[in-house]
Amino acid sequence: MGPALIVLRLDGVSKLFGPVPAVEGVSLEIARGEIFTLLGPSGCGKTTTLRLVAGLEQPDAGEIVLRDRIVASVPRRTFVPPHRRNLGMVFQSYAIWPHMTVFENVAYPLELRGVRRATVRERVATVLGLVGLAGLETRPATLLSGGQMQRLALCRALVYEPDLLLLDEPFSNLDAKLREQMRVELKLLQRRLGVTVLFVTHDQVEALSLSDRVAVMQGGRVEQVGPPRELYERPASAFVRDFLGQTVILRGVVKEAAGETVAVAMDGALAGATLRGCPSPGAALAAGAAVQVAIRPEDIEVALAGETEGNALAGTIEALLFVGDRYEARVALEAPQRTSRSAPALPGRDEPEGGMGGPWPGPPCRSDQRVLLLLSRGGVWREGQRVRLGLPAHLVSVWPA
Amino acid sequence: MAGVTSTLPPPVPLPARGRGFGARVEAQTVFCSVVLAVVAFGVLFPLLLVVLESFQVAPPGQPAAYGLDGWRAALSEPGLRAALSNTLKVTFVRQLLSLPLAVLIAWLLARTDLPGRGWLEFAFWAAFFLPTLTVTLSWILLLDPEYGLVNTWLARIFGKGPFDVYSFWGIVWVHVVTGSLTVKVILLTPAFRNMNAAFEEASYVAGGTTLGTALRITVPVMAPVILSVLLLGTMVSLQTFEVEQVLGLPFRFFVFSTMVYDLLVTRVPRYDAATALAVLILLAMLPLVFVQQWATRRRRYTTVTGQFRNQPLRLGRWRWPALALLLATALVVLGIPVAFALLGTFMKLFGFFHIPDPWTLANWTNVLADDLFLRSLRNTVVLAVCTALAALLVHSLIAYIVVRTRYAGRRVLDTISWLPFTVPGIILGLALLWLFLGVGVLRPLYGTMAVLVIAGLISGMPLGVQIIKSGLLQLGSELEEASRIVGASWWTTYRRIVLRLMAPTLMAVGMITFVGAARNIGNIALLATSANRPLSILQLDLIAQRKFEEAVVVACIIMFISLAGALVARFLGLRGSVG
Repeated sequence: MGPALIVLRLDGVSKLFGPVPAVEGVSLEIARGEIFTLLGPSGCGKTTTLRLVAGLEQPDAGEIVLRDRIVASVPRRTFVPPHRRNLGMVFQSYAIWPHMTVFENVAYPLELRGVRRATVRERVATVLGLVGLAGLETRPATLLSGGQMQRLALCRALVYEPDLLLLDEPFSNLDAKLREQMRVELKLLQRRLGVTVLFVTHDQVEALSLSDRVAVMQGGRVEQVGPPRELYERPASAFVRDFLGQTVILRGVVKEAAGETVAVAMDGALAGATLRGCPSPGAALAAGAAVQVAIRPEDIEVALAGETEGNALAGTIEALLFVGDRYEARVALEAPQRTSRSAPALPGRDEPEGGMGGPWPGPPCRSDQRVLLLLSRGGVWREGQRVRLGLPAHLVSVWPA
Repeated sequence: MAGVTSTLPPPVPLPARGRGFGARVEAQTVFCSVVLAVVAFGVLFPLLLVVLESFQVAPPGQPAAYGLDGWRAALSEPGLRAALSNTLKVTFVRQLLSLPLAVLIAWLLARTDLPGRGWLEFAFWAAFFLPTLTVTLSWILLLDPEYGLVNTWLARIFGKGPFDVYSFWGIVWVHVVTGSLTVKVILLTPAFRNMNAAFEEASYVAGGTTLGTALRITVPVMAPVILSVLLLGTMVSLQTFEVEQVLGLPFRFFVFSTMVYDLLVTRVPRYDAATALAVLILLAMLPLVFVQQWATRRRRYTTVTGQFRNQPLRLGRWRWPALALLLATALVVLGIPVAFALLGTFMKLFGFFHIPDPWTLANWTNVLADDLFLRSLRNTVVLAVCTALAALLVHSLIAYIVVRTRYAGRRVLDTISWLPFTVPGIILGLALLWLFLGVGVLRPLYGTMAVLVIAGLISGMPLGVQIIKSGLLQLGSELEEASRIVGASWWTTYRRIVLRLMAPTLMAVGMITFVGAARNIGNIALLATSANRPLSILQLDLIAQRKFEEAVVVACIIMFISLAGALVARFLGLRGSVG
């Protein structure tokens, strides 16, 4: 992307809270018209990064450039206060001013910009119409529902056509249904207006579904930046892999590393089995190295027990949960060759921390590897059934343990 | 997979104790009703007596006769009318002067990076606990028209001292620098601090400047709180009576409270006129009560905070001027009163700095050796300790019923417990006087400490119940329910969970009640006799006898007790976020 298209650039930005770095050396570029998401667990520095962009916090290092204007720079000792940055922001609590009506809330930023009254009325009406709040102009803002407040906050942030729209976990206070609906609405609105969005969330589904690009953050640093699908399918680190969606992780030792894939001899209950997979990016995997074998559960091909040739494992369905659109199954994994099953250990014996004895039965299977899989509603599944689990080698990744 | 194979201990049976659910619920209702009845009797019945008494025109000692003479006097006699209009004037001017300053100070303390704001907030908190009479005596030292230090200094330049503490503006000034300003600051500061910073941040991002945001967002968002505090302040300002009693009497300036007192302590007491005046003031308070309750209910949205801690606003070059303003204010409300009250105790002649060798220790030695003083000190200690202990029991009981039970009358109980706040101290004292003199079985109590303890208990009730209530609300009922579920009885839960967790709050309430009882004047001025007279009334009597040297020593002792209590309450974590 050319420099003219860059709306926001962060260059080595850091922020300390006392001695603790909340944001450490973050560098990002956001292009015009895209939805860019900062994703991470709470405390990862994503909200602080957003507030640094907004000018609500001052950085301790680095530079923030908005369009072609340096809005914060530690080396140059410049800092543009938030009200001169021409940004829009939707707060987590919406921050709808309770002493104003719907109209007044949206009109406030226009008044500050000296827009004529007639124009104000026209633009407020237009933007309220965009989100379906038309006709509520005179209502006191405190009488709105959560979803309406959220839309109002969006109107207030968009009405003056800011260079960049900042969204700070805007959906976290909505219930699940409304959240899904607002997600779609927001994406449609953004596509229609073409506004550039910097979005902060801890919800990976929200991030993946809304964004053009996502930056996964952890401990104040950016772990990986890329389009959602790339992050999901080719995570650069174990953290990104585990934070985005479910992962089945099995342990083993590299048997041979040659060509595109590595062969891994599995440990524990799966001893004897060998799985092939692609090495994770940047990992040098020599024979004998302890590794993790990872695969997304939805990529595992479950079939009724049969031949266990190829890249596959055997398993037993321990518990089957019908959840409506599909089944969820807890499957105990075994090496494919192993067919004999020893008797389950007697409960209450050899318990290091137990002692009292009790009514709880031991596990029916000695395997220590269990996975939660999604099975199609069409299959004929039952508890106790043995299944074959196919792990396509190109979807299996191998990580240094 | 240890979770699956782990074992549970065998079930431990609960001790079987049979009492039906229905029986317990009924017992609770009866108990709550008894509490409600007692509290209502203590608060409402005396007020009812005041209303009745306003129609009773016969002089004391003669058979009762009913008529409207008292009301006629209250509405037509120029002295009484003047007292009413003086009350309104003083109240209005006080609030007008103190509110904007208090809002500014609270904003600076709560939302900016003002240096030393923690200490400054503490200074206002401590100043709030200064006994009004002590502060009044300090300002007499400084602003007495003839001998006041400020006046004598300025007289060298102007030829004549420009200030007179014995004047309308003198009274207003002392009021502003005592209760009016400090109570607003300590109530507004936590409220400003709890305001969701996103309201302001949204304005900055939308293009608002610091000043514009403060005026167009912060203050309007806080308007319900500010209104509520203003009304509380107005009600508090109708409570005090000692400032007018000391500063107003010399120039025959009466407000309603001093007029009521005057009507009652003259040779032929005019009970009917005094009570009619009291009822008029109570009626005038009613709208304030309703508006205040309404404003309190509306303020809820201001304390919705995000999980982000508030970022203090950078004052930049305004930092040092703002600090200077606050230091000067703190000096006026705390430093000067304390320093000059202490100074006054060492003067041979109170206020006479220019006589040769003005200093002496005799005041202290005289007072400390005086039998009258020692008896009053003992009375004060007994009064304060008993009131605090009684308050802990009664106030926590009321708060618990209001917050935790489903008792049908809990709202009524809540309102009644708050009512004494709106009743000026002198009227409450008058009402209790009637209760103890008028109800046969209670008459033997008159003249004992019990009367004063009850007065302190009732006057401290609004604050005490509010603080314990908010503590209980923060506690959340799950902690208690968890205890009940695992098998603890209500009483065990109360003892081992509620009391343990609430201990700091309860101690703070005890401390505040202790201080309140020790410095209480308005409530007990009519109830105290020579037998049960505490220090605060001794001080008032000494001033009435123009024995300022000894009065100021007593004032300083009360001040020490108050400040010590304030420190302990602060240490126990009370932040004054009530009202």
